[in-house]
Amino acid sequence: MAFEPEELSPEEVTDQVDTVIEDNEVVLFMKGNELMPQCGYSKKALGLLKQYREDIETVDVLKATDAYREALERHSGRETIPQTFVDGEFIGGSDILEQLDERGELAEKVGQESPF
Amino acid sequence: MDEDAVAELIEEALPEAQATVTTPRDPDDDKHYAVRVVSPAFEGESLVDQHQLVHDALGEHLTRDIHAIELTTLTPEEAE
Repeated sequence: MAFEPEELSPEEVTDQVDTVIEDNEVVLFMKGNELMPQCGYSKKALGLLKQYREDIETVDVLKATDAYREALERHSGRETIPQTFVDGEFIGGSDILEQLDERGELAEKVGQESPF
Repeated sequence: MDEDAVAELIEEALPEAQATVTTPRDPDDDKHYAVRVVSPAFEGESLVDQHQLVHDALGEHLTRDIHAIELTTLTPEEAE
């Protein structure tokens, strides 16, 4: 399981966000977890990604929502949840994932081999 | 925050934007909106950047007054 203590300070959240984005190919910051998404948009984003990848690292932001919003804003320029990162790059929330999927571009976006 | 206020913020911020705001769930739901924006400002921008322009227009309303928007961004050409 991912590193998930009960309480997180804003500094710990910032560090965790930096590390998890760096260490994983596909990361989804969501409300709730894979088994129990707590928001329809998080659930939708997870479902879209799961079509193409099984190895998605999910992070539940509800433990410290405001701190996560702030930490994520530094990476993506936005504070809304969910957010998806692939190879360290912000690729979108649930709407963008859906639009990419409709255009047939999502598989390539999340499925391609890491260049590293 | 009602639909008109959301549309107004977007249209003020983006050149020649036309924003259509609806409530996809309950008509009285003032927390979840479907937003369709057509603007020439989106031309040549990636989806992420297009969405960012709309997010910037809504500013902190987006995490405080509104739970979420379902956003569709289109250039005038794509909207035809």
